[in-house]
Amino acid sequence: MNKLQTRLEELRADNKKALVAYLVAGDPDLDTTLELMHLFVKSGVDVIEIGVPFTDPIAEGPIIQKAHDRALKKDISLKNIVDMVIKFRETNSQTPIVLMGYLNTFIAHSDLIENSDNLGIDALLVVDIPGELKLDSYGIANPNIDTISLISPTTSDHRIKQITENSSGFIYYVNLRGVTGSSNLDMNEIEKNISKIRQYTKIPTLAGFGIKTPEDAKILAKCADGVIVGSSIVEMIDAAKDTKDFSDIEEYLKDLNRAIN
Amino acid sequence: MNNKDNLPDVNGFFGEYGGKFVPETLMFALDELETTYNNLKDDPAFIEEFYKDLSDFVGRPSPLYFAKRLTEHYGSGKVWLKREDLNHTGAHKINNTVGQILLAKHMGKKRIIAETGAGQHGVATATVAARLGLECHIYMGAEDVKRQSLNVYRIKLLGAHVHPVDSGSATLKDALNEALRDWVTNVDDTYYIIGSVTGPHPYPMIVRDFNSVVGQELITQSNELFNKLPDAVVACVGGGSNAMGAFYPFIKEEGVRLIGVEAGGKGVETGEHAAPLNDGTPGVLHGARSYLMQDEAGQVKDTKSVSAGLDYPGVGPEHSWLKDIGRAEYVAVTDDEALKAFHEVTELEGIMPALETAHAFAYLPTLMQEFGPEANVVVNVSGRGDKDINTVAEIDGIKF
Repeated sequence: MNKLQTRLEELRADNKKALVAYLVAGDPDLDTTLELMHLFVKSGVDVIEIGVPFTDPIAEGPIIQKAHDRALKKDISLKNIVDMVIKFRETNSQTPIVLMGYLNTFIAHSDLIENSDNLGIDALLVVDIPGELKLDSYGIANPNIDTISLISPTTSDHRIKQITENSSGFIYYVNLRGVTGSSNLDMNEIEKNISKIRQYTKIPTLAGFGIKTPEDAKILAKCADGVIVGSSIVEMIDAAKDTKDFSDIEEYLKDLNRAIN
Repeated sequence: MNNKDNLPDVNGFFGEYGGKFVPETLMFALDELETTYNNLKDDPAFIEEFYKDLSDFVGRPSPLYFAKRLTEHYGSGKVWLKREDLNHTGAHKINNTVGQILLAKHMGKKRIIAETGAGQHGVATATVAARLGLECHIYMGAEDVKRQSLNVYRIKLLGAHVHPVDSGSATLKDALNEALRDWVTNVDDTYYIIGSVTGPHPYPMIVRDFNSVVGQELITQSNELFNKLPDAVVACVGGGSNAMGAFYPFIKEEGVRLIGVEAGGKGVETGEHAAPLNDGTPGVLHGARSYLMQDEAGQVKDTKSVSAGLDYPGVGPEHSWLKDIGRAEYVAVTDDEALKAFHEVTELEGIMPALETAHAFAYLPTLMQEFGPEANVVVNVSGRGDKDINTVAEIDGIKF
């Protein structure tokens, strides 16, 4: 079992829920991203999800799109991100790291992913590859790295079965019809769909998209194995980019952690 | 005769190009669309409805017209013009929207969205939506809203909402991103009319099929007018819908040269262009794998073209496949060459082509040298140029 699977198993054994926090690599710059990753861990984040900037991030709402654009202005590529993760691993060998991004940038760096034994990365989440396709068909698989797939409110039972068979690490349940940062959570539908997913797989199901407040997280944690929070954090990072005073983020993450456990 | 026209395969691939690379939320909508289309495409009632609209609303068939003065001008083979510019709304784009709106109607969708570059697809979509009384939203890059202001106003007159898109390069690709985001959000009641042979499967197939009426008519008309098939069919390629519609019925006719002309911008060698088939590499954008203008890190490059409709870093996956198997040829001409052709065709033939179409004409000086006097070369006149008068005037230094 890799770090991600181990961490999620431990949490489950302790009857705890996972807090996954997202940020875009290189927004505002890679040194700050590295600092924020350590801050995340200190604030009770269980898994760090790093957004890999792409020119055309079709699943992202305006907040994360702008973060991608800011990072691209600094020429952030997957290569820089891997180097940063290796630096992070010098002092943190335990916190699982998920890279979330778009197929084209991963294909462009397939050598990097396929030929490395120890990138320090535990899972890939490729937003725009259908979950029934295998990443190794595109040269971006690695036996040490989990493949996380999305399941959404519109996924048919037939597809849920195929997708869960191809997934490892966790299932990322997309809470809503929409892009990241939207706000129209339908708790009844979410609960119904997560319990449906559980009929097909034993791997943990985490809920993401549209989670803004600790209250949202608290309700979702009742049915999911954890929550993924992105846009709110990215917005706070941008607001504090000049002062580099990230104490609000620390408080917010601690509140989220308390809310779900 | 070959069977190179039997694609895409069941997974939506033309060889290694195409596919459905979209966020999971859209997968059900693509499946729903594919099922609907497969059920309807051979249904005689659906076919009759589509062709009746093409004849009575669009004004088809469009003529195949002998361009006497252009023929004399080049002094070699005969130049024929397939007059898609005479269609209702002034371009080939209406063929596809007339077909797709019928699909939307059959699927019971109440809300229509579309992206547009030059605005022709936006106009064609707003037109068919108005006709059926459906709510319509058009996404258009802020840059294109500026350079195609006439079409923006036309779309608004037709009762549709225009949403300028500021993100990225504020052109067609960004409009597509935003339309996809709208679709993800409103997927239950919304039909997305993609305007080119791009996007995830089944769009490249559907848009090709609806535009194939152009190539089908060409076969009949060439046989009537010169008793054989043309020696070459030439069309401009942005996403590639007018070219695909003209090419598709000829794919199995190996004797007919199929030539796509991309936007060479300031010159393919300068890197400032929109010619992925000439100077791109395979990549994944907007739901499909195809040739793409991208850097080594897999980031999509900004494009450059005087023509808003060709200013797109990707291209339809079937074109990528036709390029790789060598069935079609893809060349590029520069902005300057296209502008020269725009003036030349306007002055010699009394036909003002769209700047997109002017790219196809701009390849004729090179191409006609390869043919003798008996050859018949067809240019697909994909659209009329009224929408570009402001752009051309500005380039010529004229203020109104």
